Amino acid sequence: MRVLICLLLLLSALPADADEPKVIKERTSYILNMVDDLWRGESSFAVVTMRVKTEHYTRTMRMEGWSKGKEKTLFRVLEPLREKGTMTLKSENHIYTYLPKTDRTIRLTSGMMMGSWMGSHLTNDDLVKEARLEEDYDALISFEGERDGRNIIEFTLTPKPDAPVVWGKLQLIIMAESYTPLLEYYYDEDMELARTFTFSGMKMLGGMERPAVLRVIPADKPDEYTEFIYEQLELDIPVSDEMFSISSLKRR
Amino acid sequence: MRILTLASRNVRRNWHRSLVTMLAMAFACLIMIFFASLMEGMIQGSERSVVSMNMGDIQIHAHGYRDDPDLYTRIDNDTALVAAIEREGFRAAGRIYGYGLLAAKMASSGVHLRGIDLKQEVKVTELHRHVGSGQWLDESESKGVVLGKKLAGTLGVELGDELVFVGQSSDGYMANELFRVRGVLKSVSDGIDRMGMFMPMQTLRNLLVIPEGVHEIVIIRPDRTTDLSAETARVEALAEGLEVKNWKQLMPVIARMIETADVQIMIMLVIFYIAVATVVLNAMLMNVFERIHEFGIMKALGVSPWQLVALVFAETFILTLLASIVGLAGGWWVSDYYRIHGIDLSSMAESIAYGGIAFDPLWYAAITTEALVYPVLFLFIIAAVAVIYPAVKAAMLRPVKAIYFR
Repeated sequence: MRVLICLLLLLSALPADADEPKVIKERTSYILNMVDDLWRGESSFAVVTMRVKTEHYTRTMRMEGWSKGKEKTLFRVLEPLREKGTMTLKSENHIYTYLPKTDRTIRLTSGMMMGSWMGSHLTNDDLVKEARLEEDYDALISFEGERDGRNIIEFTLTPKPDAPVVWGKLQLIIMAESYTPLLEYYYDEDMELARTFTFSGMKMLGGMERPAVLRVIPADKPDEYTEFIYEQLELDIPVSDEMFSISSLKRR
Repeated sequence: MRILTLASRNVRRNWHRSLVTMLAMAFACLIMIFFASLMEGMIQGSERSVVSMNMGDIQIHAHGYRDDPDLYTRIDNDTALVAAIEREGFRAAGRIYGYGLLAAKMASSGVHLRGIDLKQEVKVTELHRHVGSGQWLDESESKGVVLGKKLAGTLGVELGDELVFVGQSSDGYMANELFRVRGVLKSVSDGIDRMGMFMPMQTLRNLLVIPEGVHEIVIIRPDRTTDLSAETARVEALAEGLEVKNWKQLMPVIARMIETADVQIMIMLVIFYIAVATVVLNAMLMNVFERIHEFGIMKALGVSPWQLVALVFAETFILTLLASIVGLAGGWWVSDYYRIHGIDLSSMAESIAYGGIAFDPLWYAAITTEALVYPVLFLFIIAAVAVIYPAVKAAMLRPVKAIYFR
């Protein structure tokens, strides 16, 4: 009898204990979603300049992009002339590239996912995985408070056991007040720093202050970088699904 | 006493017995020659599969290229270097490489591109003879490419089909071009089969914007018997500041396999020779022991023991000589047949691969002086050794005992 009561007590005590982490978890994912939605509402349109600097070349590209939901993205190159009209379509988990020079559309295979996207320091895989932080990683707030004179929150994201990711862990550092991202560190499977994302250049974009410059710096080549500069951003605009079909790539 | 005359008469008189003995020896000789050529052929064949097909004897790269093959790690003074190496009596060819994505219809695959200096490459490797269907590259068709066997299968393309290539050129822009399947290779090596895409050098230079320099120089020795390490050192002296490695250093696993195959073959040959020796020994023993009665009579007629030994040896010599001529001719003929036609092993396995190198499923014999001379020499030695015991025994016989020896 006493055993039963003990058990009952234990059982009733369990949910109360579980409540605490749940609140934390909710807060964590709330903030992460806020960060995620900075550049992307339900749908978006953006004009971005990409600058790639490597040891061997520096190149600048301007492109326009549309997105809808988390799964659909379309980029079209505006400049330089040589590549004008090149399109990248991300739909579900596939990436298609339309190449005006040969007038062909190619679906990238899984083997190409670690290849560079348009000669930048981002991989095709980054494009596919960009919006899946929540699905592939377990997030937890690893630091909150003052660092380098700024009030920040630091998240540590570790991949879920069966998640198809190539990183060992991610660290995301945001401003505590505005939830503006400052830095993002990517660590490889040996927990060595692989690359750093920095966010800067706050300006009015899509009706609020957002960092307009995103810079990617590979850890093994500190002199190289890829920079994305947002010129224009419109959120929650009507975008038709039609746009993200393979057939639309050819028609444009 | 004219021993040789007597011996040859003896051989003729007992021609039936002599014939059987000779046939046994000739057959043994033939088999030994054939076996030796087959084994030699196997070694040469594997070395050919590794070296002549694609690797070359010696390769030159810029330092660091083999660990991290990037577009920019190039050998700059390639034309001068190739010319200098050729002046030294070698044959050399430059190659450039690249990576990218190749798509056909709706299938696509990562590819490893190779730009080939068509004039030079044919002097160095045998790739151009290894085309399974279609044709080898040609300057006249700059967009015609040759694919690895499995790659063509992955993409599901046939000759004449269109291919779309996408990659990144060395100036950071997208490289994009349409190609046409001109040929498909037979199995070469794992890497080439799965990802190999070959095109004329200039086509790849334009595609990936590599105006000059090469990633690799492949060298072959015209004389395969020279010492590889010494030749490597000679090339090293010419290629200053570059990495020079021979195929044994580049593929230690395969090299070791071929070296141990050498030892294995020696062991097999020894076992085989012992088997042959017993056949010869048996034939010679019978030959002498059958005639002890006859020897007894000869001794009774006053033939000295030494003369008798000499006689037996002379007979043996004549028999062996005839047998070896027949065996040599037969062995040579059989080996030559298989040197040209080869033994087709493809029924047993589609392609024989070891350590990522595909070996030719046709097993050709290779005739070397050693393969011809050693079996004949061995036959003489065996016959001489085999006949010592019976000859001495005959010489020691007491005539009366020998006459009644039955």
